[in-house]
Amino acid sequence: MKTTVRTVGQVSVVDLSGKITIGEGDVVLRDKVLELLDGGHSKILLSLEKVSYMDSAGIGELVACFKKAREKGGTVKLLKPSGKVEDLLQLTKLWEVFEIFDEEAPAVASF
Amino acid sequence: MASATTVKLVISNEVRLVDVVHAASETVAGIAGFEEDDALNVAIAVREAVINAIVHGNKMDPSRKVEVRLQARPRSMSARVRDQGAGFDAGATPDPTAGDNLMRSSGRGVLVMRAFVDSVEFKFREGRGMEVTLKKTRAGDKTKSSTRPSAAAADNGGMER
Repeated sequence: MKTTVRTVGQVSVVDLSGKITIGEGDVVLRDKVLELLDGGHSKILLSLEKVSYMDSAGIGELVACFKKAREKGGTVKLLKPSGKVEDLLQLTKLWEVFEIFDEEAPAVASF
Repeated sequence: MASATTVKLVISNEVRLVDVVHAASETVAGIAGFEEDDALNVAIAVREAVINAIVHGNKMDPSRKVEVRLQARPRSMSARVRDQGAGFDAGATPDPTAGDNLMRSSGRGVLVMRAFVDSVEFKFREGRGMEVTLKKTRAGDKTKSSTRPSAAAADNGGMER
């Protein structure tokens, strides 16, 4: 999985592409979110538009990032989950936990 | 009727090899005639079974193996994943979508498996480890079907793994 970070106002928008799976994407995601939090960037928007799928480890890492951000006084929100990722978020009922947006501008404004 | 196409894999107990099984599962699902999206569903379900086998069944022990048998038939596919662990009670683990479990960072594997294939069966054989068998029939060949994961899995299949 690849990540690119953009700063929009005070929000760090992390564009993710590829898959968030055990031993690969989950580690990349964790490292990137921790790096941002440790650098004082507490408003994080994970853009999932180009994530093809996740497995349970990837889903778990999303939850871990959400909790880690909250511990540090930050927030993680999600943008544009793709078909399979959306299915998984709904299946696991995490759709009700995360704030999820279809458009970037309202997502950024929500922080 | 054409005979089944079978692929057997024996992998070392390493999570980096999960992708190998995932790719093989997608290929075999394609041979069984599944469309791309359903083939990915099958591969994700098999992937979860293999992760369980490596992490929970074999407890990350590098000396152990995971055996996978993938079988394509004209209208269906099955996958059998066997570890070398001590087994577990598939019915005794918590629902990951319930209450405080929702925010746990693990425990969703079986839920995902059950959602992405038609049936998941757990069987422990003394001396042979835990065996998980997943089956899926092509959507057009079932009386009632959906290519989307089953929401029912969230209601009755939630378990720790």
